[in-house]
Order: sequence, then structure tokens, then C-alpha cells
Amino acid sequence: MKNPSKRITWKEISRQKFLMVCAAIFFVYGIVFYYVPLAGWVMAFQNYKPKDGFFSQFVGLEKFKFLFSDEVFLRDIRNTLAMGVLNLVTTFLMAIIFAILLNEVRNMFGKKLVQTISYLPHFLSWIIVTGILHDALSSSGIVNELLVNLGILDSPINFFANPSYFWPIVAFANVWKETGWNAIVYLAAITSIDPSLYEAATLDGAGRWGKIWHVTLPGIKSTIMILLIMNVGNVLNAGFEVQYLLGNGLVKSVSETIDIYTLTWGISQNDYSLGTAAGIFKSVVAIILILGANWIAKRAGEDRLF
Amino acid sequence: MKVKLWRRVFAASMSAAMLLGLTACGGSASTESSESSESSDGIKTFTMFIAMPGSEINDDNDIMNIIAEKTGAKLKETWLTGQTDAEAIGTIIAGGEYPDFINGGDAMMSLYDAGVLVPWDDYLEKYPNLKEMYTDEEWDKFRQDDGKIYWANVFQNTYGEDRATTHNDEAFWIQARVLEWAGYPEIKTLDQYFDLLESYADANPTMANGTKNIPYTALCEDWRYFCIENAPQFLDGYPNDGSVIVDTDTMQVVDYNTTPTAKRYFQKLNEEYQKGYVDVEFATQTYDEYIAKLSTGAVLGMCDQWWNFAYNVNDVFKQQGLDEQGCNYVPLGLTIDEGMENRWHNYADTLNNSSGVAVTTSCSDIDAAFKFMNDLLDQEIHDLRYWGVEGVDYLVDENGMYYRTEEMRMQCSDPAYQASHMCNYSYMPQWLGTSRDGKNAMQPDQQASEFLDSLSTPLQKLFEAYGVDSYVDLIGSVKEEPGPWFPMYSYSGSMTTETPGGVAWVKMGEVKHEWLPKVVMEPDFETTWNEYMTAYNAANPQDFLAEMQTELERRAGL
Repeated sequence: MKNPSKRITWKEISRQKFLMVCAAIFFVYGIVFYYVPLAGWVMAFQNYKPKDGFFSQFVGLEKFKFLFSDEVFLRDIRNTLAMGVLNLVTTFLMAIIFAILLNEVRNMFGKKLVQTISYLPHFLSWIIVTGILHDALSSSGIVNELLVNLGILDSPINFFANPSYFWPIVAFANVWKETGWNAIVYLAAITSIDPSLYEAATLDGAGRWGKIWHVTLPGIKSTIMILLIMNVGNVLNAGFEVQYLLGNGLVKSVSETIDIYTLTWGISQNDYSLGTAAGIFKSVVAIILILGANWIAKRAGEDRLF
Repeated sequence: MKVKLWRRVFAASMSAAMLLGLTACGGSASTESSESSESSDGIKTFTMFIAMPGSEINDDNDIMNIIAEKTGAKLKETWLTGQTDAEAIGTIIAGGEYPDFINGGDAMMSLYDAGVLVPWDDYLEKYPNLKEMYTDEEWDKFRQDDGKIYWANVFQNTYGEDRATTHNDEAFWIQARVLEWAGYPEIKTLDQYFDLLESYADANPTMANGTKNIPYTALCEDWRYFCIENAPQFLDGYPNDGSVIVDTDTMQVVDYNTTPTAKRYFQKLNEEYQKGYVDVEFATQTYDEYIAKLSTGAVLGMCDQWWNFAYNVNDVFKQQGLDEQGCNYVPLGLTIDEGMENRWHNYADTLNNSSGVAVTTSCSDIDAAFKFMNDLLDQEIHDLRYWGVEGVDYLVDENGMYYRTEEMRMQCSDPAYQASHMCNYSYMPQWLGTSRDGKNAMQPDQQASEFLDSLSTPLQKLFEAYGVDSYVDLIGSVKEEPGPWFPMYSYSGSMTTETPGGVAWVKMGEVKHEWLPKVVMEPDFETTWNEYMTAYNAANPQDFLAEMQTELERRAGL
């Protein structure tokens, strides 16, 4: 057997010149929009002043020291991770469960209708979703009214005043908004499963549960793995809008995320250096998480990103 | 085959280009372009960002067009929405696109640091109306560390004789109907105030239309949490220095967050909350929800600044007829104990030099911008801005006094009419006090005759019962000029995180945002208070106080 040549020759390049040009466009795009802005990271090591720009006073790791000696920042890391993991697990599981259940619906019209309705919330902006939540969960809102009238509660509870409700409310909001949308990918993956596998399973005596367990789930396992790895990197993007819009003084200790911290110090207090330092920290953690998840997937012998 | 591939690539690159276009639009749409444009009729349009929430007026607003004809310029105002002033200004600086005018609230220092403001010094000599706004000593207070003036505060500036009728400051407010029901008692202390609210709410659980009365609420949202936060300074009889008390005997700054009065005040709120007289949603309501709640007329009392609620709520009361049911709020000059002097009302002008209107370097015709501000202070234009059009919005009697009919007042309180007809330019230079004609007030709500005639019946009865002519008389504060250091908040407002004191100030704010509502709501007050104090002291308030003390000594010339 002759190994395919790995050498890059001019001939090869000219043969692929069209593809090369196409690739170059995106390569340049990537450099300009993803790597050039990284030059701004230098701000994290300076005492950046907009007036002095790039030539601001250099302070080394000062800003990072401030960050990690600030209890509020450490608390915000905890909140971000907690909400990120909670959101990841709930939205991820719900999307898969929802896709499988929807796939089992035999009535095409009902299936389409449910699917369309379920992904509509995705197109609402967070400001609207939080507005609805704020109304629904207020002490005179529909949820409290229902609970009191059903005799489950004696008096209305103020859901937003109790820190222990905050994470579940955020997770619920995410699930409500994104389940239908996220399920689309899984539904697509399910349709690509070879129908003969189901027939074979039926012949082998598998019921509905058996088919879900032995055919559908293994069929979409690689999709699940890839999406999981990609989403793990997003754990620290636990959100900004939801927490910013739903938070208040009382639940500050559980609602503030790294992004909000960056906003308060970086933008409001005009300390771009501190904001950048927090941002760098976030990026580093995200890279570690992605590499970690990828490594685990590799170990488990599954499909992986790279 | 080849054609097909081309087509596919073309489609892919098209969709990529569209995506790019979409994201590009999303990025640039956030700030108003700074280009002042000149239309065919020679009228310039300036842009302005105001770091306060407000209502936009219509593009074809009547008075805006009249002013444009007379001055050759108009102003497109953009207001703060859903952010704090510091966030909005920070975003504008980060974006690098500035409007022609900017009123940055407490974030003016950031704009100065970014080097985007135009110094006023040269233009002040050229434009007498602007120069006239302040005395030389007052202008000096606006000078930054480079010795130049970059902005001027537009509020609380009196021309000629003072005409104050409203109490445009903070107070514990109470609805006229509560005082009427109780037979107009003298309410002097915090305890008496809550006793009255309790007994009224017990006797009248609902309003006439069946809405449940809310005895007391307190706004805690974002920077507006002063509604719950700064009452202790007033209860101790001190004026609104905002971030500290200045003890005039020892010339020391005192932290009002930790005084015995602060503890008693929060303990009282805690008691009332446990008894169910404080709105259960007080800690989680947003400003909009708060205003909506007040507008129903159901809230009997609260602690707030007049300007924070009155302009929204009073118009609704008038339109809904709630003013005739006695829902209007009147201020009470409460103190923690009986027999103390109160300084809720400030008789002199408050010169907050940390905030104001500025012209940015993005403005293409800076001279015209200053000329426009100068023109806005001309008496004729000023009357148009605040009184409106003669014969339509006000009439003039045989003595030259301006007045409005009841119909005109009703019209002027209608938001739709305000948007289509009235044009205050409310964050541009303006005057309070007496008009240059020597008779009328600069602004209608300061015209004594107009003020008294426009009062609802319950308010007129209340004023009569207490024997007062204005809200100012009612609150009964000590008449004295505060020292040259007043207000100290203009210094804390300009602190940055460059100094330990500035960092402490931000952290103290964060702690208070979290703990003050908690202190009111937790059943075990003592334990919670102690936990709060531990968290508060961890923010190093002493760093902040030390810097405030230095500034106090500088200002007092010690």
C-alpha cells in the first residue's frame, strides 16, 4: 500500500486554489475578529486610562491580585459555576428527553404543532422573559394566586426575596426558553437513524422503551457527546441578562455572575483593566473545561471535537 | 458538477456575508450618532444623551419647532433605559461614539478622564446667559484638576427671589387622606408616623375602589436605594450631605450607617415588616413597578425624593381623579426623637458640582452648541420651555401675571400632550426662582398663585388645617445656609476606584444593597444587624471616611 502523499506541493496548491481562497477568507476573518482583539488583553496588566490608551502605566499582576483577594469575585465564580452547571444539566437533559418524547408522537399534526410552539420562547428576548417571570412570581402574581387558592400556601411567598429560590428560577427560565430549540438538533439526529434498526428491534421483541433505550439513544450518542463538549466550554457563560434583570439586593449573594462583576467594575467604575483581568480568567477556565471534556470523551472512546 | 459546486460555495459565502452584516448592525446601533446635522431650512439638530430615565418627545413637537425657528437649532434627546448612569456612560466611552451634549449623572468624572469633554472657559465670556448661571466662586467649584470647567449643573439654581413651593428634596411622605382621617395631627417622629399609618390601615384596609391599601413601601432598586438607605442622616437632624453626616461642632465626618439612630430606624422598619405593614415586595420591586404601585394611590407613605416620584405620579393622580380622593403626598419633617430640629429641606441652592451638562469633542459645531445653550436661557425661550405658548398653555392677567385655567392644567398633565406639544429640554441649563420680568416665576410650579389654585381640594383643606402656604412650610425645616462643604455627596460621587476610599465606597454600597432589605425582613433583627455590621466593616469604611474627612477639611478651609 502506498501512503497518500502528505507533502504540500505548489502543484497541489494550484489544483486547490479555489478552496485555498475560500479558506483564506475565513482564516483572515478569524485572525481579524478573534485574535487581533486579544491585543486588548494587555490592559489587564496596565492601569488602563482611555486618555493614555495603549501607553497606560504598567502594573503587572496587580489587577489579578485585587481580583483574587476580593471575596465578592470568588463568590461570583461560585455563582457562575453553580448556575452554569445547573443550566447545562437541566437544559441538556430536558432537550434530549423532549426530543425523544416528541419523536414517539405518532400524530404528525400534533407533533409539528408541539414542536413549533415549544421553540417559540427561544425567540423572546430575555428582557421579556424576565418581565413575565417577575409578574408571574410576584406576590400578587398568577403562581402565588394559584397556590393560595388551592390551599397549598397560607400567604403568598415573595420568590425573588429568598436566595435559595434564585438558582432554580434561573434554571427553570432557561429550560422554558431553550428546550424546544435545543431539541431540534436531536430530532434531526433521530431522523437520520436507519429505520431498519427499529424493524430489527421490533422483530427481536423490543417494546417502545426498549427501542428508545437500544436504538434511539445509541443513535444520537455522538451528537449528544459533541454538544456536551461544546456546552461545557460555555459553563462560565452562565448568563448575564437573566441574573442582571432578575437579581436584586436581597439575592445579590447568589445572583451575581462574573459577567456582572465585570460590568460593575469594568464599565461602571471605568476600571477596564480589572474587567479585562476577569475576562481573561473566564477565557482560561473555559479553555481548560473544553480540553478536559474533550480528553474525557477521548478516553471514553467517543466522538470528540479535536 | 463544477457549476453545482460554484453555486453551493456562492450560497454559503452569501449566507456568511449576511451573518456578518447582521452582527455588524447589532454592534453599532446602540449609540446615537454624534453628527449634528443641518436640514435644508438651516436648522441644526443636536443630539444629547441624558443618563437619567425620561420620556422622549415627538419629532414634530410643537414647541420644539417654535424654539428651532427662533434659535436655529433643536435637540434630539435620548434617555437612560434599563441601566445605571455609570453603566450607560461606561458603555458610551467603551464604544467611543459620543452625542453632541451629554448629561452623565454621577459619571461625569469618567467622561473627563476619557478626555472627550470641551472646556467651557472660552465660551463663558462669549455667552453671557451661561456665564450668569453661577458666580465666579461657584464656577470655580466646577474646575477640574487641570483648572478648566467642563460641565455645569442645571438644577437647583435660583434667579432673583426664591419661589420654592414644593419640597424638591427627600422626606417621609404621607397621603393627604391619612392626615385628614386623623384630624390633621402633628407628626414629628418616626414612631408617630408609623403609628398613624398602622391605625389608618387598620381602619381602612381598602381604597374606595376596593384596592388594598399598602401602608408603607421602600424602593431598594440600584442607585435609588437611597429611599431606604439615607433616612438616618435626616432623622438625626442633619442635611442631605448624602454619603456622610458632617458634625458641625467637631468638624468631623460621621458615618450615618452605623449610628444608634440608623439601628433604631431599621429596627422600626423591621417591626413594621413583621407586623405586616410594610409592602412584602419592597425589596424586589423595580422602579417601574414602584411608580406603578404609587400611581394606583394605594401606598399610604414612603420615604423618597420629590423628583423621584412626583412628576410621574402626580400627573396620573390628576388624570385619574385620585387627587380629589386625597392620594397626593405631603412631606413630613420627621426626626428620631421629639423636639429635634430637622433639615430635610434645603433652602439654599444645592450646587452639585459632580454632575451637569457637557459638550463633547464629537460635536461638529461647538460654538453653535454653546450658543444654543445660551439661547435656551433667554427669557422668551425659557418661558416657552416651561410655561408653553401664551394663549394656549397659559394666559396673562392685567398685572402681567401668568396663570393657567383648570382645563389647561389638565391638558398639561396629559402625557400625550406633553409629548406632542411641551418641550422642556429638562436637562439643559435652566432657572428656578423669579423671571426677568420681576413678577412671574421661572417655572409654573413655583408660581404661588398657580401652585395654590392647582392644589386638589384635600390638599387645600390640609394646607388650611396646618396653616401653611406650601410644602416647604409644612415640612418646617430649620432655615440656615449649609457650610461651604455642602453637599459632601458631590465628592463621593466623583470618587474613582483609583483610591482605597473609592474602592471602599463601591464595596460599602454593595454590602448595603444586600443587607439593608435583609435587616428589615429577617425575624431576628439583632443577629441580622450584627451580621450586617460585620459585613459592612469588612468593606473598610474607614478608608472612605478618611478621604471624606480630608475633603471636608479642604472645603471648609481648615
